[in-house]
Amino acid sequence: MVGSNRVVLGNGIVHVLGDAKASADEEKKTRRQLVQKALEALQRDDE
Amino acid sequence: MRVVHYVNQFFGGLGGEEKAGAPLESHEGAVGPGKLLEQLLGIDAQVVLTLICGDNYAVEDQESMIAAALQKVRAANADLFVAGPCFLAGRYGMAAGALCSVVQSKLSIPVIAAMAKENPGADLYREMLYIVDSGDNAAKMQDALTRLASLAKKLIDKKVVGLPKEEGYIPRGLIRDQFVEKTAAQRLVEMVLAKVKEEPFESEMMPTAFAPVPMPPGIKDLKKAKLMLITDGGLVPKGNPDKIQGSAATRWGSYNIKDCADLSGDDYEISHGGYDPQFVRQDPDRLVPLDVMRDLEREGVVGELYDEFLSTSGLANPLSNTRRMGREMAEKAKRLGIDAIILTST
Repeated sequence: MVGSNRVVLGNGIVHVLGDAKASADEEKKTRRQLVQKALEALQRDDE
Repeated sequence: MRVVHYVNQFFGGLGGEEKAGAPLESHEGAVGPGKLLEQLLGIDAQVVLTLICGDNYAVEDQESMIAAALQKVRAANADLFVAGPCFLAGRYGMAAGALCSVVQSKLSIPVIAAMAKENPGADLYREMLYIVDSGDNAAKMQDALTRLASLAKKLIDKKVVGLPKEEGYIPRGLIRDQFVEKTAAQRLVEMVLAKVKEEPFESEMMPTAFAPVPMPPGIKDLKKAKLMLITDGGLVPKGNPDKIQGSAATRWGSYNIKDCADLSGDDYEISHGGYDPQFVRQDPDRLVPLDVMRDLEREGVVGELYDEFLSTSGLANPLSNTRRMGREMAEKAKRLGIDAIILTST
């Protein structure tokens, strides 16, 4: 379930790691932020 | 009635854990619990062949073991195939379940296994097979075999099989039409009233339960970590070479991204009926974030990204498929020494 320890909320269904409304650069920034959230979650222990 | 019986090294009399590496062997006639099984099945039943295999061998060499065992079952002209009772022995239960499902699908003969409902093999195979609930206590062998024999005879005689509770098998999630006295509305109200009064009641449909999976500890050193990307959004190479189905997929694929820094919409397509694919078609990195992962790899934030991403479609996919595929993917990741996985989903 989203909100669980290692489940990160993506940006909608059709572009989970993207943003169709943003520019290419902005989108890549968003994608990087989401991936980094995931990496942080992977480094944390069970909460 | 010609019966072939599968047991592990312990019940086959080879020894304990020290014999868990024993390869598949066959014995004419019944061995160990097979002898009681034969008696309980009745006068015209005969265990013509017993297959014995060490638990570790069965798990580590599963594919070849199953192929070999299948041949022997076929050659023995079996009318019935029985595996177990495995009680709580996890490797035994997994092997028994895997073997039973292959025999069932390839030979179309009645097949029964027996194990404790907490056995991991039970959870994985109960939807595909009749698995008698043997409980976890091997001292209850006779009881388990009695129920197994009784159910086996029904299957052989093609008699109607009763409810799990009646026959003693683990619920399979099968739905059968039946006329009853009370309407659904009446039964529902009775259940609600019982619940409100804190009286016992029985749900007619059990919600799927998930055995809790303990969370592995966090990665200690991300800079040395080997990561893998997996998606259930159905991203596949153009042409869908593995023919992964868009819905209720039974297959998954592993796709090369070696020396690739960015996924291009020209090279991929989407096999998934559940979302509007146009955005991911334009830029597949929106689903499988390869470009960002390559940046992070180059910057030394993560150790290494594995050369392939795994993919299937999660749409309308029953647990009987996804549990198996998840297990297979995890086995691959384990073999490759992957430290962590990012799974992306639509």
